[in-house]
Amino acid sequence: MNTDQTAVLPQPTPQYAIDSQGLNLWYGAFQALYEVDLRIRQGMITSMIGPSGCGKSTFLRSVNRINERLGYVRIEGSIHVLGENIYDPQVELVQVRKQVGMVFQRPNPLPVSVRDNILFSHRLHAKGGGDVHQGTPDEIVEQSLRQVLLWDKVKDQLKRKATELSLEEQQKLCIARLLPVKPKMLLMDEPCSALDPKGTEAVEELLWELRGQYTILIVTHNMAQARRASEECVFMLMGKVVEHSRTDELFVTPAHRETADYIEGRYG
Amino acid sequence: MATANPTMFQASDLNQHNERVQRRYQLLFGLMTLLLITPVLLILGTLVVKGGGAISWEFLLTAPTDGMRTGGVFPALLGTIWLVTVALLLSVPIGVFAAIYLSEYAGDNWFTRMINLAIINLAGVPSIVHALFGLGAFVLFFRFGTSILAASLTLAVMTMPVVIVATRESLQAVPQAFREACWNMGATRWQTIRRVVLPNSITGILTGVILEVSRTAGETAPIMFTGAVFFTPFLPQSVFDQTMALSLHLFVAATQVPGMAEEIPFGVALVLIALVLTMNSVSIAFRMWLRGKKKW
Repeated sequence: MNTDQTAVLPQPTPQYAIDSQGLNLWYGAFQALYEVDLRIRQGMITSMIGPSGCGKSTFLRSVNRINERLGYVRIEGSIHVLGENIYDPQVELVQVRKQVGMVFQRPNPLPVSVRDNILFSHRLHAKGGGDVHQGTPDEIVEQSLRQVLLWDKVKDQLKRKATELSLEEQQKLCIARLLPVKPKMLLMDEPCSALDPKGTEAVEELLWELRGQYTILIVTHNMAQARRASEECVFMLMGKVVEHSRTDELFVTPAHRETADYIEGRYG
Repeated sequence: MATANPTMFQASDLNQHNERVQRRYQLLFGLMTLLLITPVLLILGTLVVKGGGAISWEFLLTAPTDGMRTGGVFPALLGTIWLVTVALLLSVPIGVFAAIYLSEYAGDNWFTRMINLAIINLAGVPSIVHALFGLGAFVLFFRFGTSILAASLTLAVMTMPVVIVATRESLQAVPQAFREACWNMGATRWQTIRRVVLPNSITGILTGVILEVSRTAGETAPIMFTGAVFFTPFLPQSVFDQTMALSLHLFVAATQVPGMAEEIPFGVALVLIALVLTMNSVSIAFRMWLRGKKKW
């Protein structure tokens, strides 16, 4: 398959944003994922639920290949992102990280100003002439912050250290700083679990705002959140995908016994 | 509850006992701190009282005369500045870069652990051993002769472990989450170090450099065999010249010259301490300037 970045021939738009086939993953001797076949639709919010240790975060972290940093991870199978296998040997990890943005459980802004946080990734990737936001730094900062509904709150404090913001603002900033390099997809690993209910609501509102422009895959422990804030839902158990369907179907008429038990709180 | 026991919030015997024990330990720690700063104050006080009278512009800016019994310390002062500057120029880049490699690039395996252990042990080697190493390696083997270069190299080798350990510790004090945030945006290791790790650890690194300045300026043994002389009528013109130095001058003035006025050695010591404090305040000012800039 052609992963040469200079080839910009128009390709047929692939139907799926993420397409994993026969994905097996081991941490040392422990197998965390078993034959995961998942097809995540483009431009939608898909949530992943399941009890702790079911492999949902592991799957998420395989989509931008940050699991490998642990060193003792072994992976079989493939993940195609927008039609290209990201485990192809020719793939440049820096590009994977640019195209697939990641948001973590604990907001992790850099200890520099709000403005520099927004521009950080852009400065890394803009020089190479990649597909990034073409505006002036001021425009980039304003548009990115507007997109995450944070502009009005921080427009007068752009020089302030980002680590001094509230957790909710920090988390929104962590989403905003991914946008200037035009990622194709946003991965979120329990993005609201460090936030209070109001912050959670604000971030969920933001997710709906970003829907359509970006494919969003969100791991959550909070079933109410999965139900409110996603269009499709994946239920995983013991490293396997049990069920993947539209969120309302999955919660109202689950096809599997395990799914029903989990969403009714019988274990987890 | 309206009928609450009125003694519910009174101190029990156990509370009182615990409070007494806590006060005893607080007192112990306070006394130890006092014990720690007393000698420092005594030394500084003695130096100022006994050596203050010797200090004058003439003392600072002229050469010693009459077998060092009169005149000033200028050649020794200049020599110490030379030695410290050259030693810093040699050891800070090497030490800081090596520490960055060990902390940010090298994996955690038995080999790097052994290197770290060796560095810590090297910091504990007595300075006279470094002196003899410097004599053998730099003066004789590399044929630098007894010169500022040989002496500064010896000092640099001696103080490098301090720089490495201080740098490594301040690098490791930068939270791992910052590095991961950078990597996850596609930053390379170097971009991460340049933009996030170094700006957040530069203060600690400079603290290591300050420690090094103090140690370098005060050492006598390592420079005695490698580049410092008791007396020379010439000021150093390049790093290949010999030089006088304050620490050696103090040793000589205090022990080797009969009929020396008492205030001269105290004055020399005072100048040495003042020089170290001045050099340290330069790096402290630099540190504050960096903080003010916030980026670097």
